Amino acid sequence: MELSIIAPLYNEVDNVKLLYEAIKTAADSLDITYEIIFVDDGSKDDTFEVSKDLALKDPNLKIIKFRGNYGQTPAMAAGIDNAEGKIVITMDGDLQNDPGDIPLFIEKINEGYDLVVGWRHKRQDKLISRKIPSKIANWIIGKVTGVPIKDNGCSLKAYRSEIIKKVPLYSEMHRFIPAMASLTGARVAEIKVRHHARQFGESKYGLSRIYKVIMDLLTIKTIIAFSSKPLLWFSLLSVPFAIISFLCLSLFGFELLSYGTVSLVYITIGMLFVILIAFLLMCGAIGELVYRTGDVRLHELSSLTSDVIQGVNKDER
Amino acid sequence: MKDKEFISVVIPISERIDDLLELHADYKSALVKVGNPYEIIYVVDGDFELELKQLTSLVNDNDNVKVIKLAKTFGEAAALNIGFENSTGELILTLPAYYQVEPTELSTLVQAFGTNDMVTACRYPRTDSGINRFMAKIFHKILGAITNSSFKDLGCSVRLFKRKIIEEIVVYGEQHRFLPIAAKGRGFKVEEVNLKQSAKETYRRIYRIRTYFSRLLDILNIFFLVKFTKKPLRFFGLIGSFTFVSGGALFLYPIIERLFFGVALADRPALVIASLMIVLGVQVFALGLIGELIIFTHAKNTKEYNIEKIIYKNKS
Repeated sequence: MELSIIAPLYNEVDNVKLLYEAIKTAADSLDITYEIIFVDDGSKDDTFEVSKDLALKDPNLKIIKFRGNYGQTPAMAAGIDNAEGKIVITMDGDLQNDPGDIPLFIEKINEGYDLVVGWRHKRQDKLISRKIPSKIANWIIGKVTGVPIKDNGCSLKAYRSEIIKKVPLYSEMHRFIPAMASLTGARVAEIKVRHHARQFGESKYGLSRIYKVIMDLLTIKTIIAFSSKPLLWFSLLSVPFAIISFLCLSLFGFELLSYGTVSLVYITIGMLFVILIAFLLMCGAIGELVYRTGDVRLHELSSLTSDVIQGVNKDER
Repeated sequence: MKDKEFISVVIPISERIDDLLELHADYKSALVKVGNPYEIIYVVDGDFELELKQLTSLVNDNDNVKVIKLAKTFGEAAALNIGFENSTGELILTLPAYYQVEPTELSTLVQAFGTNDMVTACRYPRTDSGINRFMAKIFHKILGAITNSSFKDLGCSVRLFKRKIIEEIVVYGEQHRFLPIAAKGRGFKVEEVNLKQSAKETYRRIYRIRTYFSRLLDILNIFFLVKFTKKPLRFFGLIGSFTFVSGGALFLYPIIERLFFGVALADRPALVIASLMIVLGVQVFALGLIGELIIFTHAKNTKEYNIEKIIYKNKS
């Protein structure tokens, strides 16, 4: 199979038929074998029943029903785990993305990119509560992860399936897929997509969301930049404390040598931070242990994204 | 229930034991009344000489009784797991090795099963002492607040559930008590059913301090399970950054005083306390990062979702 299109659905009873038809039209026009996977994330309305009826008529449509509501990332992960296509496309289930953009993604993948990310360049959202915060968030995410993507929140993405199947997707990590995938050496492209206004419901950047994004960002930084060498990452973390500790200890030494007085405060603080440095280094050692016993080594996926350049008549020489 | 499904009854023999011959006879007559085909599996958790002798005689007299003897005491959850592994039924019924509910009430439990994935018993009306009931109430209130569930009696181990629940949820340590909460969290349909408490349970329930302490640990345990397992840094980070920021503020205060008001720095204990808080904050934070590394490196093996069914039309 060439193509798998995955859309998570949660209480989308009004949209599911429209979405299915739009995707079908787009996919049929491509003239390749494809499947559509709807993941019903424990909807409370009749989303499942409606999509089930569709699936019983169309052999290209597959419905995965979750037992409960687990969130968007697990829904995408389930779709990806069950996808059979060589190219995997993920999109929102609420018609904010336009399935008409799918052919552009296929084209880009066929150009040799491993991951194509959508960019909602004309976002149909409120300026203050969504657009500006998300612009700032995207800029920071780009700076921290080193993968400058203009729109990390856009669900419409295309992947080569062998790569995305090996990238761990959990919690709310779908926002950081490009960053994670970049570890494998994946070539990332970004294309402009259409974006439709959300019809029902609204989510905002509240204080707790900002906190969550910051924490996730720190996590992703730890994972990306130093997952293969945790010790290095933790030693870097301890540098500022080493400076403080050095300052305090030299103040102590200076007072002792020049005035002969002992400052308990300086030596205590200095030693405290020495303890902290030791602790952080040990954390790094534990990190090495964790990494070694784990089973995710993104940089080892490099063979999937690398080209082999070889002379043609090597054997005949 | 449409067909009479096969029920595997698993009874762990550990700390509290009533006379097994009497208990077995009561359970047996109750199960016969229920009408489903059944087997009873006793798992002996360690050295119980008298009980083992009684059970051996039971095995000789009945052909649907199985006894598994563990080489040493592994704890109730381990005993249950071994029992599950050796059972064959699609439905599993766990029972205590002592009178907890009236055995005749088992048919109520089976009837209440219906379309649920699990039914768990709640002893009601309760006949044991007021202080026990009071403590149990507090325990479940706290648990309910942490886990957003409304179970009233998790101490009751009379539970009937489908095999797929224990295939998907791994219990260890003392966590078997929270199986209903875990199952509900995974999206299974769980219901609590009121069963009459056995009159024989009333007169000997005297808890020691140790029991209360272990309940407290249970609460901590479930708290960690609920809050940590997915995003450790979000939880650790909250404690860590709070301690770090307040420590940092406390650190700056004497320094500003030194710079602008000329108060000497060398004898300010606030500095020491502030550095202690900074150190603690960073340590908690670092542990959170380690937690995230653990989650990340095992993310491919632990599925976060639970598929009920996949529907598609066959192409042929």
